[in-house]
Amino acid sequence: MKIICIIPAYNEAENIVAVINSVKPLVDEVIVIDDCSNDDTFLLAKQQGIIALKHIINLGQGAALKTGTKYAIRENADIIIHFDADGQFLASDIKTVIEPLINNQADIVFGSRFINKQDNIAMPVMKRCVLMPLARLINKLFFNINLTDPQSGFRAMTKLAAKKIDWQQDRMAHCSEILCQVVKHNLRIKEVPIKIIYNNFGQRFSGGVKILVDLFLAKLIS
Amino acid sequence: MFQQTLALIVIVFFLARLFWQKQKKQIAIAEFIFWLFFWLISAGAIISLKWLDKIVANLGFSASGINILLYLSVTVLFYLIFRLRLKLSKIERDITKLVRHIALKK
Repeated sequence: MKIICIIPAYNEAENIVAVINSVKPLVDEVIVIDDCSNDDTFLLAKQQGIIALKHIINLGQGAALKTGTKYAIRENADIIIHFDADGQFLASDIKTVIEPLINNQADIVFGSRFINKQDNIAMPVMKRCVLMPLARLINKLFFNINLTDPQSGFRAMTKLAAKKIDWQQDRMAHCSEILCQVVKHNLRIKEVPIKIIYNNFGQRFSGGVKILVDLFLAKLIS
Repeated sequence: MFQQTLALIVIVFFLARLFWQKQKKQIAIAEFIFWLFFWLISAGAIISLKWLDKIVANLGFSASGINILLYLSVTVLFYLIFRLRLKLSKIERDITKLVRHIALKK
């Protein structure tokens, strides 16, 4: 079974080498997509002997993930993992995330920060008690998605699932769009607990508003 | 009367710019026709304001013809902005496709 890990990166020269080296022993191939960083992210990634792709302009995490996923499908990956470049995810959780795919229990697996309460106590109170419950409610009401962590960027999917899920959102709305596509194609979903190391606190409320606007516009266009 | 004249002068200026842009080939034929009709209809509306007042009054509106024109203009503006946003989104998607193609080709 060929396991490929996709790492979208933007200005992560500080973290990228450590992230690549932590993930590399656990998968068959690592693909870093540099989203037009201003620092040495791309160069450092290439020096680790992995596949490094580069966007010539900054498009966003969603676009970088799609580029990497398309490449992984071309490379005949059986399992495709999405993993952040900022060092917040633990490589040791990869085994937990891909296990349901290997055992044919799911087509796509999402890592959740909220299954085990002790894994999210470092999250700011505002985000943990207001923003994340609001995100869950909005995903439930508008997209009929019932996950404990709908905005999680740590996910793994089979090649078949990756071919079916065709997200268009380039920036942060891709998380919600991927979930919509999963529901649309009736893919088997599973959530597993993961740990997060908080060194910054991700999206703000304004980011959430922008996601909703982007998804609304995309719906109008389609 | 003065306001109508002023409005017509402004429209004539825009029409002159439109023809100039067409001559310089800075505007596609479809765009040219659209704006030509837009400004001609606007000029027609300004000229026939008194007639518009009568129609609006007969339809039961309390506002005058010029107010109705204003409300319609704002509605049209919102619609044009909406169409612009759709166009921008499409352009962004096309750019993404190009950038991805370049990244995967390397």
